[in-house]
Amino acid sequence: MRQAGAYSGILCGGISGRTGPHLLPLARIKKIMKKSGDDVKMISGEAPIVFSKACELFIEELTQRSWLVTMQGKRRTLNKEDVTSAVLATDIFDFLVNLVSET
Amino acid sequence: MPPPCMVHEQDQYMPIANVIRIMRRILPAHAKISDDAKETIQECVSEYISFITGEANERCQREQRKTITAEDVVWAMGKLGFDEYVEPLTVFLTRYRETENEKTSLRGEPIFKRGIDYGQMMMAPYGPAFHMENHQGIFDAARAVGGYYYRDASGAGAGSSSQASLTNNFDPFGQFK
Repeated sequence: MRQAGAYSGILCGGISGRTGPHLLPLARIKKIMKKSGDDVKMISGEAPIVFSKACELFIEELTQRSWLVTMQGKRRTLNKEDVTSAVLATDIFDFLVNLVSET
Repeated sequence: MPPPCMVHEQDQYMPIANVIRIMRRILPAHAKISDDAKETIQECVSEYISFITGEANERCQREQRKTITAEDVVWAMGKLGFDEYVEPLTVFLTRYRETENEKTSLRGEPIFKRGIDYGQMMMAPYGPAFHMENHQGIFDAARAVGGYYYRDASGAGAGSSSQASLTNNFDPFGQFK
């Protein structure tokens, strides 16, 4: 799974690769970007790359905040309700409110 | 009338294994993650991409440009409240471009310069970029327990020791008292 090349050094946070390969698939990111609106025309090659890093930061932040809720409840399993609580408690996650409120 | 339960089409999302791997970097070793939490976070990531792209695309249209660039993406994040990501992403992008330039200018020479630890470069912007007052002390607390957010390039055990202190000593709401 290790992908040789410049990407793995930058995105793994170290050429030693201790953190393991975690490249988020660029083609998938691009697909989601295109689907975000009918009028999305062209996407530069670098845009999905910067998104792959941004998504890591996003997942880390959402996980961190959700886990704090889990710990507050003295539990060891991070569940969907913890994610919902974290979203509701964080202003910049307002765009996710509808998503976590479904089902 | 709410829509029927949508099929969780995998190709609309980041692969769940990748999402879990990134989550595991934050969570202590003993933590479990429910399946519905994994799916929810997977969905949130796609929503995040759409959300940011929409704003970036609007800017392109206003400026009558056809191509969404990396700068547009980073700008949109700053505009939509993710200003703490701007600096690390800008550094990331700069490093990426430098590496690309090296690739084209060093034909025939080894491309992988193993002396460069990108991990170190990635660390620095995490600190100053996270402004405590905006995030209700979340990252302040994380730093207080030994830099949970810091990828310590030197210590192999740094990750696990941070995790231990996060769960044992950490009072997430202590600073709100």
